[in-house]
Amino acid sequence: MNQTTRLNLPATLIGLLAATGLLSGCASNPAVNAPPLTAQEATQPAKGTITVWSWNIAAKALQDISPSFQQMNPGAHVNVDITGASMQTRFMLSLAADVGAPDVSQLQITDAPHYMATGKLADLTAVAAKYQSKFPASRWAECVMNGHVYAIPWDLGPVAIFYKRNIFKEYNINPSSIHTWADYIAAGKKIVALSHGKTKMLALGISGLADMFEIFLQQTHGQVFDDSGRIAVNSPQAHEALQMMRQIHAAGITSDINAYSQEWMAGFNDSSLATYPGAVWLGGIIKDSQTHYDTSTTKWGVFRLPAIQRGGVHVANLGGSVLVIPKQCANKTAAWAFVKYALCTKAGQLMQYEKESLYPSYMPALKSHVMDRPDPFFGGQPVGRLFATDVQKIWRINRTANWAEAESYIQQDLSQWAAAGMPHNHLLANLALSLHQRLDVPLAPTAPTSTTSSAVQQ
Amino acid sequence: MSASITRKRQGTDGSVGSSTWQQLWKYRHFYLFVSPFFILFSIFGLYPLLFSLFLSFTKWDGITAIHWAGLYNFQLMIHDELLWRSLWNTLVIGLLYIPPMLILAFLFAQILNSQWLKFKSLYRAAFFLPAVTPMVVIAVVFSLIFSSERGVLNYLLLGFNHVLPIFHFKAIHWLDSENWSKVSVAILVVWRWTGYNMVLMLAGLQAIPIDYYEAAQLDGASPLQSMRHVTWPLLQPVFRFCLLLSLLGTLYMFDEVFVLTNGGPGTSSTNFGLYLFNLSFTDFKFGYASCVAYSVAIFVFGASLAINRLNRRNSEAS
Amino acid sequence: MTSARKPGQLALRMVTYVVLSGLAVIFVFPFYWLLSASFKTQAQIFVTPPHWIPSHLLWSNYGELFNETNILRAFFNSVVTSSGSVLLSLFLCSLGGYAFAKYPMAPGNNRMFAFVLGTMLIPGAVTLIPTFEILVHIHWINTYWALIVPGAVGAFGIFWMRQYMTANLPDDLLAAARIDGCSEFGIYWRIAVPIAQPALAALGIMNLIGSWNNLMWAFIVLRTPSMYTLPLVIYLMQGEMSTPWGMLMAGGVLTVLPLVIAFLLFQKQFVAGITAGAVKQ
Repeated sequence: MNQTTRLNLPATLIGLLAATGLLSGCASNPAVNAPPLTAQEATQPAKGTITVWSWNIAAKALQDISPSFQQMNPGAHVNVDITGASMQTRFMLSLAADVGAPDVSQLQITDAPHYMATGKLADLTAVAAKYQSKFPASRWAECVMNGHVYAIPWDLGPVAIFYKRNIFKEYNINPSSIHTWADYIAAGKKIVALSHGKTKMLALGISGLADMFEIFLQQTHGQVFDDSGRIAVNSPQAHEALQMMRQIHAAGITSDINAYSQEWMAGFNDSSLATYPGAVWLGGIIKDSQTHYDTSTTKWGVFRLPAIQRGGVHVANLGGSVLVIPKQCANKTAAWAFVKYALCTKAGQLMQYEKESLYPSYMPALKSHVMDRPDPFFGGQPVGRLFATDVQKIWRINRTANWAEAESYIQQDLSQWAAAGMPHNHLLANLALSLHQRLDVPLAPTAPTSTTSSAVQQ
Repeated sequence: MSASITRKRQGTDGSVGSSTWQQLWKYRHFYLFVSPFFILFSIFGLYPLLFSLFLSFTKWDGITAIHWAGLYNFQLMIHDELLWRSLWNTLVIGLLYIPPMLILAFLFAQILNSQWLKFKSLYRAAFFLPAVTPMVVIAVVFSLIFSSERGVLNYLLLGFNHVLPIFHFKAIHWLDSENWSKVSVAILVVWRWTGYNMVLMLAGLQAIPIDYYEAAQLDGASPLQSMRHVTWPLLQPVFRFCLLLSLLGTLYMFDEVFVLTNGGPGTSSTNFGLYLFNLSFTDFKFGYASCVAYSVAIFVFGASLAINRLNRRNSEAS
Repeated sequence: MTSARKPGQLALRMVTYVVLSGLAVIFVFPFYWLLSASFKTQAQIFVTPPHWIPSHLLWSNYGELFNETNILRAFFNSVVTSSGSVLLSLFLCSLGGYAFAKYPMAPGNNRMFAFVLGTMLIPGAVTLIPTFEILVHIHWINTYWALIVPGAVGAFGIFWMRQYMTANLPDDLLAAARIDGCSEFGIYWRIAVPIAQPALAALGIMNLIGSWNNLMWAFIVLRTPSMYTLPLVIYLMQGEMSTPWGMLMAGGVLTVLPLVIAFLLFQKQFVAGITAGAVKQ
């Protein structure tokens, strides 16, 4: 054994190096991808079975509309696969290997650009460009990369404030008097004071900071990346957004519970939290949670997102999804026909809204009287209309291919900033620098970095 | 067969006839029999090793073109908080589970090695079974057990309060709290790997000649003393081996974390193995992932060499 | 052992039995919990206080598992890939181990063997990405080959077989066979392999555990449901929000059962197979 452990590495390595020459020949990727979808193909009848990957209620919504789609396209069959864990990861693996992707897949809006940049998604420009005007401009822009359309918007995530009517009533606060964040903070202070700190206005835990930042960034018309993809986060707008967060934090009206934690969910049914700023889909989560507690005395309502100043913007968007067709899909005609029916028709979108509360991005659907229906859960408010108001005004955030990654760094840095008690701002300069380092993306030409720019500073 | 005969004839008649070639020809079966290893290793071991080294200096998503990045990836590692956090988490998880696991394994092995014990194979089966079962199933079962509102573990914990009113346990958020997620992973790992280490230690114990104990007994040593002065020193190599396996295991552990917590909440239970997997197959940063994998592997290799050397020097000194 | 049992010693042993049995129950409990949950409804699984023993055996989880998922196909895939990789690796490792053990005079034997041992230092994490890329290029993604071939000959397997054959395969026997006109491969196949059976069993079991339980690589290379193996199916059954727990538990039982049965039947070989790892040092 002893003499065997002395090994002559160089000699053996050279021999094996020669052997690996076998493999260096196959460096180019065989093109297994079918040609792009043409307008002509799209007019042919949809036939055959298509597989769709989706999750949760979104998948259920697609299952709901499948029968009527199949009725209209007798030769077609839709197989919605409510796939479980790690769907987006498996989708990317299938794209990379050119095998095993479904014909249609759901992607989260924030992750979609990463997939679009791979060049492995079907170019839908020829068939989809005509629908551009039917969607909020901000959302459509998120489906386009380098002038090509690679995805179709599915649900929209307009943001408002979910509040507990019983608490507001108890402390005599009129939600319709809340127009600005300053009003919101004042109401919060009142609630906290009158409840002796038992009830906080909102949860602003570490995990929810990035969402809050994104809401304010949209309201101040800021960006993380400028139009040419450079880092532009160190801007007066972003400073203003941070300033808003600090004001809310400093007002003593927040609880540091993390969003989506068990305590946060439990808060739906007790009086620890008075409001939940959130996107339209949060309503579904709240409704679901109430069915587990028939005894809950909580009464819910919704009011519009406060503006930063009077007359300012009352809209922002959080989340939402898109549908995409991978290049390797063998039956693009049927896949597109299904996507078109699901997302670019009033019937398809409204059916999904009515059955699964999936909130449409398709504006003709938002104009429907269906949106005016009172929602008994929210005290008879026409909540659909409230969320539909001004969706065209939602500020367009530039989503680059590395958006999802950037978002995780923003979250990290915001967490540290908050953990340190939200000290005065080197945050954005550091954030810009660290995004620059970690994403290897250039910085936008220096914007004024002074911290005094804020119009809301009091 | 006939082909080899004709080739043999060529070989003997040919002008090559030098003794080396004859030797090689004589032992052709040796080369033939070991060739599958070398062929497969070249393709699935050496080539990946070299390619991965190359990738460490590039930016590549596995799909679009490869870009040369020089030392960029290495610089990136310094700023990559998630990398450091995952290494830190690895360390904490390791510290949480390795000591109890090794102590339990040693005690089990010690007890199972005593002659008076009956139903040995039954006990051994009970402790060892976890090591052979698919982690994914077990992790799913543990996620039920750990469930904070409806899990068995919290039910029992709260039950203690009734039995012994001096305790005031609260329901623990095993999987949804940043403070407890590592503990939960550690408990799962202890459960899974104690039996494995026990079997290794049992083998070590059985290799200790019985006369040593008899001699110790003759010298008037108590059982505890003979454990301290006979078992412990002789079992040290096995212990060290188990420790090394566990350390490496924690670093590259995947299934346990992937299924039980998926690294969360937040990144509180993301160990290095899961971090690397996510870097590779969620973010598809093939270049950077290769760089990280390489750097950590080299560091680990260097560290274990150093520890080995230190150990040897220590044992020589004593 | 002296027969003079002091009462203290007896008590100590009783305590040992009690504690050991208690711990054994804790170690077996998750298996029991898996089995019992597979016979419960979703509500019964999550009820507090827990139903320690299912009130009655509910078979519908198994029914749903067979009707709604492709579990039989997954079982088949698991059997094919596991047996494929076990058999291939046993064959190639024993062949290589035999050669290293029984041709000591072959030029380069020692160096080549040292090289083989050296490859054990390479962590799988470093080679993962390029291996994936190779499989993409040769179109092996989503095939059984992807799970069988890349790990087929491990350095450890060769080492293990070599040690065994060196110790247990008499050279005289081989020489006699050669004189009888047995081919070199024939000697390996008819003499070495039968003698090495205990070592093969241990090695095979080690490989079986590894391949039957493999989740990560299956997750990466298996792309369509018709190719999924059991661990992957189990993993994917966990939805983002809604998980069919009863069915999941039934699937878990099906995944665990073959190994548990094999373990109870071949406990000795399992232990030998695992202990084999310790020789590595």
